[in-house]
Amino acid sequence: MSRFLFPRWSNALLPFVLVVGAIAPLYMTLLVAYGFSPKTLDGQYQPEQPVPYSHALHAGKLGLDCRYCHSTVENAAHAAVPPTQTCMNCHTQIHKDSPKLEKVRESYATGMPIEWIKVHKLGDYAYFNHAAHVTRGVSCVECHGRVDQMEVVHRAQPLAMGWCLDCHRNAVDHVRPPEEVFNLSKPTDSWTKDQRLELIKRYDLHPNDNCSTCHR
Amino acid sequence: MFKIPRIIVYVLMIGGCIALIPPLVFARMRATPSPNRPIHIFWDMDFQPKFKAQAPNPLFADGRAMRPPVQGSVARGESYVDTHMFEGVVDGQWATALPTSMKLDQATLERGQQRFNIYCSACHGYSGYGDGAVNQRAMELVSNVNGPVNGTQWVAAKSLHDETTRHQPMGQLFNTITHGIRNMAGYGAQISVTDRWAIAAYVKALQFSQDAGSSGAKVAGAAN
Ligand code: HEC
Ligand code: HEC
Ligand code: HEC
Ligand code: HEC
Ligand code: HEC
Ligand code: HEC
Repeated sequence: MSRFLFPRWSNALLPFVLVVGAIAPLYMTLLVAYGFSPKTLDGQYQPEQPVPYSHALHAGKLGLDCRYCHSTVENAAHAAVPPTQTCMNCHTQIHKDSPKLEKVRESYATGMPIEWIKVHKLGDYAYFNHAAHVTRGVSCVECHGRVDQMEVVHRAQPLAMGWCLDCHRNAVDHVRPPEEVFNLSKPTDSWTKDQRLELIKRYDLHPNDNCSTCHR
Repeated sequence: MFKIPRIIVYVLMIGGCIALIPPLVFARMRATPSPNRPIHIFWDMDFQPKFKAQAPNPLFADGRAMRPPVQGSVARGESYVDTHMFEGVVDGQWATALPTSMKLDQATLERGQQRFNIYCSACHGYSGYGDGAVNQRAMELVSNVNGPVNGTQWVAAKSLHDETTRHQPMGQLFNTITHGIRNMAGYGAQISVTDRWAIAAYVKALQFSQDAGSSGAKVAGAAN
């Protein structure tokens, strides 16, 4: 039985093997941290919706207020996606034979809901409340991006716990006067830091990071 | 010094290149919208056997977990005995004032203005002349040179300062908002009762303000 011997040239590889051996764990750690982060796994989810409804057209060009359709957003935890009736306020007349609106007409006639696909979804163990944010001066744009420029809605933020906490611990960079919440085109830094500090004081904002705030 | 065989050098170089691929894939995933996310690696308790608002439930024929109220059900705090509040009618006539539970003050009118700008200005315009963005676009679609686009039919949103509309009592405006009128859809489902009254009050104030010189301007002044 002949013994296996490493060939002579493998000595030249030794330093290389050591370097790779040192880098590999680092590489794997960074890869997992980067690749398994919610920013990668959830980032920019953009499902294809059953009706080619465009926020860029309705909320942007036609200037409809978010509350015209998402009418519960100021009063409830859930921001309701509008019922077919809301579309039909206009579309019984406007583009009334358009093939793009086929599903909307069908839903209106049969009473079956249009099956919009939910874009933003937290784990079922987390609690989120729209009214608590929107009425206290956190604009839709902070969490949903420029929806009024999106043809198809996608996630602009990762919706991870770390992201919620980044803002809860540093809310002063993200608040604006409550009457400007629905004005997505105005960036938050159009108010100076002092003005925003003033708002935090005036409305007594203390977003907290107790676990029971969001896990109840 | 012995030479490292070519093949080993190639394998190592290719291996190094392959190691670059996952970071690039992840970087791309972050940067581009896609219909295939989110990916759940650990499911934790992400999907619990419970229904959240507007979630689907396959047990019902219409697939809604939130059950629509049975026809004729009355919401808590609502009553149909108070015809003034819920129908805008007092003794068979359109009401000319707000229901007694509401006050005609600055706060009510400001609330009315805000709600008017959300729900009505799209068609009727911010000052009520019927020049809202939706109305303008709809008129363009109707008067397209090759015929109305996709069968659009549109009756111009009425100016609220018309002779016929200007003198309508508040109760009639409330009724129009709730149930709609002719080609205008009703907003009863979208706007709460008190907000509908606030809008009606604001529309009256708007009408008086655009009706300079009439005795109405004084009434609006008094309302403030
Ligand atoms: C004409 C009605 C209408 C208006 C006005 C409107 N939306 Fe929407 N919105 C919808 C509909 C319908 C959907 C569901 C389909 C979709 O996701 O595109 C939706 C979905 C969304 C979603 C994604 C919800 C999910 O599934 O997670 C967000 C976020 C959103 N809207 C934000 C806004 C904001 C912000 C505004 C104001 C700038 C606005 N919307 C104005 C009708 C409207
Ligand atoms: C306040 C009025 C209004 C409401 C409410 C409204 N739309 Fe529209 N929509 C319009 C107008 C006006 C246009 C035409 C714009 C154009 O052609 O430039 C339009 C165009 C569209 C189109 C494109 C039609 C085509 O053939 O090009 C789709 C699809 C559409 N809307 C879907 C919806 C859906 C779904 C809803 C309900 C969530 C909705 N709309 C609610 C006013 C409205
Ligand atoms: C502080 C961040 C934040 C702000 C501000 C915010 N949203 Fe959301 N939104 C979320 C999160 C998180 C979800 C997912 C909720 C869930 O899955 O329970 C969501 C979900 C939604 C949905 C889907 C239905 C639902 O409630 O799950 C709609 C529609 C929506 N938002 C619209 C809006 C509009 C319109 C505004 C501005 C008036 C707004 N949001 C402001 C974070 C925010
Ligand atoms: C852009 C900033 C911002 C982000 C992002 C944000 N929040 Fe908040 N949150 C606030 C502010 C500001 C308040 C109001 C605090 C107050 O009223 O004192 C608040 C309040 C709340 C409240 C109500 C607290 C109470 O005392 O009742 C809950 C629940 C909450 N946030 C959950 C979440 C969750 C879950 C997320 C992530 C999905 C999130 N928030 C992301 C800014 C933010
Ligand atoms: C501001 C709101 C907020 C607070 C405060 C908060 N969480 Fe969370 N947490 C969330 C959200 C939102 C998620 C879900 C993210 C998702 O859907 O992927 C989450 C997820 C988690 C998870 C699952 C993580 C995973 O990736 O599987 C754990 C565990 C958790 N939280 C523990 C805690 C503990 C412990 C505390 C208190 C120290 C706490 N949370 C405070 C919002 C919050
Ligand atoms: C989608 C567009 C649209 C919206 C939004 C809308 N209207 Fe109208 N409105 C119309 C049209 C169109 C008419 C004319 C109807 C006709 O003559 O067939 C009208 C007519 C009216 C009239 C005249 C009624 C009469 O007796 O002649 C009043 C008052 C009125 N609207 C008030 C409102 C108020 C208040 C709101 C907000 C809650 C509102 N409208 C929202 C389209 C709209």
